[in-house]
Amino acid sequence: MFLSRLNKAIRQSLIVLIFTVMVAIVFNLLRPSGIALLGFSSANVIKQRQAQIPEISLSEAHGLYLQKKVLFVDARDPLSYEEGHIAGALNIYPDEAALYAAKLKNNIYRGVLIITYCDGPQCPLSKETAYALISQGAGEAKVLINGWSLWLKAGYPVEKGRD
Amino acid sequence: MIKFQRIIIPLSSLAFRLILAIIFFYAGIEKIADPGEFAVAIYNYQLLPDIAVNTLAVILPWLEIIIATCLVTGFYVRGAALISSALFLTFATALTINLLRGLDISCGCFGAASGNINWLYLGRDLSLLAISIFVMVCDRGWGSLIALRSN
Repeated sequence: MFLSRLNKAIRQSLIVLIFTVMVAIVFNLLRPSGIALLGFSSANVIKQRQAQIPEISLSEAHGLYLQKKVLFVDARDPLSYEEGHIAGALNIYPDEAALYAAKLKNNIYRGVLIITYCDGPQCPLSKETAYALISQGAGEAKVLINGWSLWLKAGYPVEKGRD
Repeated sequence: MIKFQRIIIPLSSLAFRLILAIIFFYAGIEKIADPGEFAVAIYNYQLLPDIAVNTLAVILPWLEIIIATCLVTGFYVRGAALISSALFLTFATALTINLLRGLDISCGCFGAASGNINWLYLGRDLSLLAISIFVMVCDRGWGSLIALRSN
């Protein structure tokens, strides 16, 4: 009894599926806002989202630093980081965000704003790391554009070596 | 016992069919309204390759609407209930994976107006899976517009 019902259900569901695929594809072709069936680009979505990550000013970032309400993340390569970085900053290159995300979710960092930075006004690494951390659920992140140069020039605390 | 089998089960099945149909209609219409946005919601789950995202975004809303139609009219009810069960099982798996990953993403369940995923959504999903299976196994075609076809 059950098997015959299941058999019937499978037969019916295949017919429904084939019919649905045809209706959906034809409707998508005909409507003006139809989308390309194979044309999704995650790279475009990521680029858009990176552009939307909020920026923070140097004075605001420094204010939060004094209140210990911020975690700086240096998105540059490890060599530049070793030569000098904002005091207390972690070194997270965009590709490494997934490894660090779990760590950033724990209690020590909970509720702390993540500020990523790299060097130079055009440097994309800070936004890439910020996006990667946010999408891994690490918390809220902002970007300090040209962060390393600005921080250094302002004479705020820096340190050397590995973390 | 006989009364239970003859009345309660078919009546429950009819009620469940209507509940499922209303949910699928609503979910399907909301998603058809903006396929591009629904594609991004699918992408957010980070489970499918790019090449499959838009295809699913185009087909899934129609699948929801067509099985809702089947459930209301009584046409191919068992087939529709089987697809419904498969869909809820798939959603449950996708939800669980991303809740465990800790991703804070929009559910996408009802198009743009959906809240972010949480364990309550998984509970809701599993309840709907249970009533879909009930309909598939127990439906007697009550209230069918095409009564002869559904039994």
